[in-house]
Amino acid sequence: MGLPCGTHNYTYAQDMAILRTKTHWSLLIILFILVFTAPLYWSNYWLSVANLIGITVIAAMGLNILTGYCGQLSFGHVGFIAVGAYTSAVLTGVFGVPFLVGLVAAGLVAGLVGLISGIPSLRIKGFYLVIATIAAQFIIIWVINHLELTGGSGGLTVPYASIGGLVLSSEASQFYLIMVIAVLCTFLAKNLARIKVGRAFVAIRDNDLAAKVMGINLFPYKLLAFFIGCFWAGIAGSLLAHWMGSISPANFTFMESLLYLGMIVIGGLGTTLGPILGVIFIRLSQQGMMFLTPTIEAAFPALPAGSAGGITLMLFGLIIVLFLILEPRGLAHRWMLFKVAYRLWPFSY
Amino acid sequence: MAELLQFTITGVSVGMVYALIGLSFVLIWKSSGVANLALGGLVLIFSWFTYGMTVQVGLPYWIALPLVIIFALAVGWLIERFALRPLIAQPILSLFIVTLGIFYFLEGLAVFIWPWMVDTLPPIFPPEPFHIGTAVVAQPYIWAAVVSLVLFGLLTLYFRYHKMGIAMRATADDQFAVQACGIPVTRIFSTSWMFACVVAAIAGVLISWIGGVSHGLVETGVKSFSVVILGGLNSFLGCIVAGPIIGLAENLGGGYLTPLFWEGLEDIIPLIIIIIVLFIKPYGLFGEARIERI
Repeated sequence: MGLPCGTHNYTYAQDMAILRTKTHWSLLIILFILVFTAPLYWSNYWLSVANLIGITVIAAMGLNILTGYCGQLSFGHVGFIAVGAYTSAVLTGVFGVPFLVGLVAAGLVAGLVGLISGIPSLRIKGFYLVIATIAAQFIIIWVINHLELTGGSGGLTVPYASIGGLVLSSEASQFYLIMVIAVLCTFLAKNLARIKVGRAFVAIRDNDLAAKVMGINLFPYKLLAFFIGCFWAGIAGSLLAHWMGSISPANFTFMESLLYLGMIVIGGLGTTLGPILGVIFIRLSQQGMMFLTPTIEAAFPALPAGSAGGITLMLFGLIIVLFLILEPRGLAHRWMLFKVAYRLWPFSY
Repeated sequence: MAELLQFTITGVSVGMVYALIGLSFVLIWKSSGVANLALGGLVLIFSWFTYGMTVQVGLPYWIALPLVIIFALAVGWLIERFALRPLIAQPILSLFIVTLGIFYFLEGLAVFIWPWMVDTLPPIFPPEPFHIGTAVVAQPYIWAAVVSLVLFGLLTLYFRYHKMGIAMRATADDQFAVQACGIPVTRIFSTSWMFACVVAAIAGVLISWIGGVSHGLVETGVKSFSVVILGGLNSFLGCIVAGPIIGLAENLGGGYLTPLFWEGLEDIIPLIIIIIVLFIKPYGLFGEARIERI
């Protein structure tokens, strides 16, 4: 599917290759060159936008594994990101642990918290699981708000990330760190979906009883999905903490959790490309709204101060509803349709 | 002892309002199997609409309240017709997320029109409190409990005796059989959304009389999820039993445990109850366990 005319697979290795043709390879290499030389010609502002997008992509990939592949709804993803962010911040800031250890520890702790929140998933699903994860999010944020170690509602200042004496203080250096991890996470997510574990996840998503009958042990696989999804959230949280420089519970709101779900739905559930497209779409439209807000406020002086924040929320609500009604398979599906149309052009089929 | 009575009465009456919001959820879940996550947003928008009508436009309550009901009916119809109906027979995830989109939209609308955070509705009840035994209770609490109970009674009667109510129960039981009997299922869905919105509007007005109008009403919506989880997703009786339990736990726990533990404990007591219930009795006190077939 989707391969150019005349490309045939003769071995399993060819059949399974992600990058099948020379064009694939060259396009990917061009993309990498473009991305990794970006700090040379992008301003600091756009680099910070790209950093935020990179971090969000990592977290959204995790949520996509949990919700898109395994079908376990998580409405508390930002709670797990917060766990990762605070783990890394406390370990590096208070205990002086090296950044890379903090990064891995953030993933592991967030994964473990996710594992605990995922335990109810064996007995419950659908709406019940939604409520359990909402409760998890609120409890996590509440605990962070009340612990001495995490600085309460005032938050913590986080030192810059440093790898072996190299302090990553500029946007550009953090850009490289975040992009390398984002590429790694994307590669792992893509492959995870193709091995036994990924297939088991998809089977559980489509019908968990049928999956059980076929011999998939539900409990470990569901917990594994929670662990992997939240591990990724923790990694993203750690990067977020070091990138922002200071964190407080106000950074990790419930609405942000809902936005993550919106991102993967808009991008396309259960695809590797989907979260990337969805995240870029949402984060760029947030930037666009930030540009437009002063214009709107100037154009309609009759509006009470602060109204423009409402427009953003309304717009996202509308986008999510319209996507579900008009394009339930997301931007990734649109992209596939475009590729097929391009391959066949100028013929319709 | 005086404290205990005080906490109990406020707890039960706030719990009755939570139960009412929970009822709004159960109405939709029972008839169409959609989990309405936009509940907090609905309560929010109706409370602010009441505020707009009474404070900003300056209408007296006897005109404003019918207007709120009409607005609620319209919102319910619009949501069902334009957001939910195109998604009939879609996977459950889409249904969750579409209500989420509605939640976003409603919250945005509230922030857009009423961007300031907190305000109060003009008082409708006389300011002097009731004295029950040693407890002193402000009037809105008592009236909230009374209105909730009356509404429960009316809805129970409606579902037992009215033709449309019976049809709605039948739809909840078996959609295909109902369609075969010639009952328009889409109209049932739309009616149940309109009903749910009216119930949410009344609950919103009651809770605003107690605690003022604010954007924190979203969290009241989340608390009412704990009511439906505890009571069982498809049980009216569960709602009315679980509502006061949650209200009591929140008030008693907040009152007695706060000095022992951290401050603000009452905010997460309902959530802890949710987790415990989900571990022990996932289908709630009165909910039916679903037997699944492949």
